[in-house]
Amino acid sequence: MQLASKHAANAGVRQALAAAAAGLLASGHAKAQEAPDPPPSTIVDSAVLVYHEVNRVQAIEPEVNVSQKISEDSTLNLGIVADSLTGPTPLGAVPSTFPQTYVRPYKVIPLGTPVTVTTASGGSTVVIVPPPTGAKSQTLAASTIVPPNTYPLDHGFYDRRVAGHLGWEQAITSNFKIDGGIAYSKEHDYRSESANLGISQDFNGHNTTLSAAVNYESDLSFPIGGTPTPLTIMNGNWKGPDTTLHEIDALVGVTQVMNRRWLATLSYSFADDHGYENDPYKIISIVDPISGQPVEQLYENRPTFRRKQSIFLDNKVHLTSDVVSLSLRAYKDDWGIKSLTADLRYRWQIDKQFYVEPHLRYYTQGAADFFRYYLVSGVALPQYASADTRLAKFHAQTYGVKFGMPFSENTELNLRVEYYDQQGNGSPAGAIGQLQQQNLFPDLKAYTLLLGYTFAF
Amino acid sequence: MKNNCRLCWPRRPTERADRPVAVGMHRLLGGLFIGIALAGCSAFGAKPWDHDLLAERAMQVGAYPIEGSMDDHIYFSKEASSGGRSFAGGGCGCN
Repeated sequence: MQLASKHAANAGVRQALAAAAAGLLASGHAKAQEAPDPPPSTIVDSAVLVYHEVNRVQAIEPEVNVSQKISEDSTLNLGIVADSLTGPTPLGAVPSTFPQTYVRPYKVIPLGTPVTVTTASGGSTVVIVPPPTGAKSQTLAASTIVPPNTYPLDHGFYDRRVAGHLGWEQAITSNFKIDGGIAYSKEHDYRSESANLGISQDFNGHNTTLSAAVNYESDLSFPIGGTPTPLTIMNGNWKGPDTTLHEIDALVGVTQVMNRRWLATLSYSFADDHGYENDPYKIISIVDPISGQPVEQLYENRPTFRRKQSIFLDNKVHLTSDVVSLSLRAYKDDWGIKSLTADLRYRWQIDKQFYVEPHLRYYTQGAADFFRYYLVSGVALPQYASADTRLAKFHAQTYGVKFGMPFSENTELNLRVEYYDQQGNGSPAGAIGQLQQQNLFPDLKAYTLLLGYTFAF
Repeated sequence: MKNNCRLCWPRRPTERADRPVAVGMHRLLGGLFIGIALAGCSAFGAKPWDHDLLAERAMQVGAYPIEGSMDDHIYFSKEASSGGRSFAGGGCGCN
């Protein structure tokens, strides 16, 4: 579940919103041509992503979307994605000058079953947890030893996911469109179901589009080893039952043709979550107040609600033959996180059948109110605490380049290579004892390779 | 009952006598705002025969939807923010 995703629904909505804007633009384009070619009835969009974190998670993710025109006014969209992830991921605990042992539940077997496996995924040692009196099953746990002065990682992390979405777009009039869809995603420890509905209305001779969309999502979390009780000590025992998370999203936006060469989009999105927000595999260390050595590891605890808001501005400007895109996003939520994102792409059209697109992205975020690098022994526990560095203050840059070969208006082969670099504060002020010598925010560096192919018929 | 005190809250908008005026004003202001915004938008734009560049794939909103969703996937998994270009939620408890 750690890295695994999501966004089947988002892909469908993005496609629908894009189609709404594309529709109004194409209508003008059609009038500009003497004898326009009939639009293709089927468009197939496909891609494979290879994701490689340095010394961490590796992933591969193929995806296919099919857009089928059913009639002059309606289009059916179908998408499917699968991914496979494996590799070490941070536990949330602090490093120590001594070796540390982490034990987590691994599997439940009927009592008395002979145990023939001695190692679990990631090279962990399998240990049998003594069952309580009268139990009919027993738990196998994976025990991992982290060497001294090493950032604790969960080497047993893996995930497989299959997701799909189905959507429908319907033009009611030449200016008004409606779309809807459903999405489903299944991992070995997580399931998500969602449904969305959107509308769009054109004004000003198809130069302005107002759009609005809502999405409801219901998720079920069933982590390996059960759901841990927040802020209790990490152990190998089987934990609690499955948990749920519900989210309502709303998005409103306006897309405006500023002039012949400039298209601008401004949108506002709002999300309201209620339910289980914890990462069940993340822990937080309690350290000795003098030495800074970890003495216990607790499961994290986040609020059971979250309200997110963001404003997004996107600009596309067509130069003589090149296209420059600049988007900005401001985000905040009631966990205290604020962030800014800037994304710049320059599509350098070498000739009609080849372009090169450099890409720069800058991201900066503040920490969640309840983020702590560690907790201190002898001090009362806070209501919420997480040492997940994704909730810490950090900034990140993405550098990329895309090579594209459009063979025709709807056929294109492209290849994108990107490098992502995330930096946070690994030496927070006031670090205790041995923690002053440790890096508490190991930088994250990742490479991605994305191969895409689109064709129509 | 502080909320029922006219001195404390003389223009309480939910009172029956005030409601039609207040609702009417809100509708009027809302309509005025939308009208001004759309009129402002009408100052921009391009004639239908000038949409040739805008119709190119590179100028479309979400021209590469898979690329966009995969980027969202990566950033959602590694950062605390989501949403903006599309919905903020959608399928995992990563953050």
